[in-house]
Amino acid sequence: MDEDLRKIHLHEWHRQNAKMVEFAGFHMPLWYKGIIPEHMVVRTRVGVFDTTHMGRVLISGDRCEAFLNYVTTNDVSLLEPLSAQYSTMCNENGGIKDDLILSRLDQDKFLMVYNAANREKDYKWLVQHSAIFGVKVEDVSDNIAMFAVQGPNAQETLQNISDIDRSKVGRFKCCWTQVADTKAFVSRTGYTGEDGFEIFVWDAPLSEPAKAIKVWDSIFKAGEELGIEPCGLGARDTLRLEAGMCLYGNDIDESITPLEAGLSFVVKPKKDTFIGKDALTKQRTEGIKRKRVGLRALEKGILRPNHEVWKDSAEKIGHVTSGTFSPILECGIAMAYVPIEYAAEGQTVTVKVRQKSLKAEIVKPPFYDPAKYGYSRQK
Amino acid sequence: MRVLDYEIPDRLYYSKEHEWVLLEGNEATVGITDYAQKQLHEIVYAEIQKESTEVKQFQQMGVVESIKSVSDIFSPVTGKITKVNVELGNSPEILNQDPYGKGWLAKIILMNSKKDISNLLSAKQYAEYIKSLEE
Repeated sequence: MDEDLRKIHLHEWHRQNAKMVEFAGFHMPLWYKGIIPEHMVVRTRVGVFDTTHMGRVLISGDRCEAFLNYVTTNDVSLLEPLSAQYSTMCNENGGIKDDLILSRLDQDKFLMVYNAANREKDYKWLVQHSAIFGVKVEDVSDNIAMFAVQGPNAQETLQNISDIDRSKVGRFKCCWTQVADTKAFVSRTGYTGEDGFEIFVWDAPLSEPAKAIKVWDSIFKAGEELGIEPCGLGARDTLRLEAGMCLYGNDIDESITPLEAGLSFVVKPKKDTFIGKDALTKQRTEGIKRKRVGLRALEKGILRPNHEVWKDSAEKIGHVTSGTFSPILECGIAMAYVPIEYAAEGQTVTVKVRQKSLKAEIVKPPFYDPAKYGYSRQK
Repeated sequence: MRVLDYEIPDRLYYSKEHEWVLLEGNEATVGITDYAQKQLHEIVYAEIQKESTEVKQFQQMGVVESIKSVSDIFSPVTGKITKVNVELGNSPEILNQDPYGKGWLAKIILMNSKKDISNLLSAKQYAEYIKSLEE
């Protein structure tokens, strides 16, 4: 594999235990035992992902709330200290520059987590707009290790090695804690649809991996009796797709607005000016012309990016942006953009898979039954 | 024989595209090798051309898909498909579990067996080929 690729703290561990791939310039684990078993471990027990490749910046200063309200679409003033929110950054046309999680550390300090593939682009964009607000934007991606502990047993796992108060740290809440006697920031967030936590091992530069390794090892010890397993990028992708979450570069990019992507809940048009506000307000008034939908294959076959979506065999109406095999449903699932008149749930469309035409139904994600899987499952 | 991590039965012929051929008279049973299934990992879909289709040596006769990838299957021989393994429809994972047994793909009646076989590799030659790929 290319020696120029960047290596994260746990590189040696992953290299010995996983099938490795290149992702966004990093050596990353694709799977350890396999994508399907790792997927099922997160849906039924608890899995751990190393997500240290992701972009992380600290934003601080008196006017950082105003700055973040200007560069992101969600309402940052709603964010209490030690809370997190999902949001997007848009360009002037309302196209999505990236999607992200913003956590408020205290009144004047935020942690923003964005996609690995957009690290340079996002940092540049933030710095460019920060000047007039006089706030500090600090890229801490290489100084913090990041692990996601996900699944119905995630809470119990974390409680074995930290003093997290579960009554205070609900979904999208955060806390400072010690994990295995190491300072960490923990948010109850994730990218799997399950209950879970993202652990930020503080002051853990890539050049000194010992601290991150210690926390990683301690998580496995803490989850040993709860069936914990390491999980790679393969399962991360099937899990987020099954939950109906977007992947930047596939399902969203700068040519797509949050309204078209079904993310209107992170666009708050009532707040003061923000980048993309005019375009998004106009689009909201006029109505969107296309929309992101979920597709569930009604026949055997795997739906994949760029497969054409047709209405009957008469009209091409869009294409698949993400597609995979769902280990829970045991069939092909996908996301696609289609004109609004074809976007109603329950409609049948045809997906061109090589020479074949596969029938698929338009469904509203998550693809799984939320009473059985995911963070709102009935215990 | 076993080479590196891969099973390579002596009695079969092989293609460089990692299909195997079991020759019995004028009939060939074909499948994918242990190396192929390990490279693909977690096969979730297989599609082979229908019975009675005529296939040509080294031309596409189907597709095997894992979660991450799509791989064409090339017929290792020229002939007419007489039987397709229907089990693959419901249980494509048998390609991973038993690539030389339950995971066979199709049976093909050969049209020019001698010439076809001369284009394939013996187990020993295929083993050497696998070693060269893993270097």
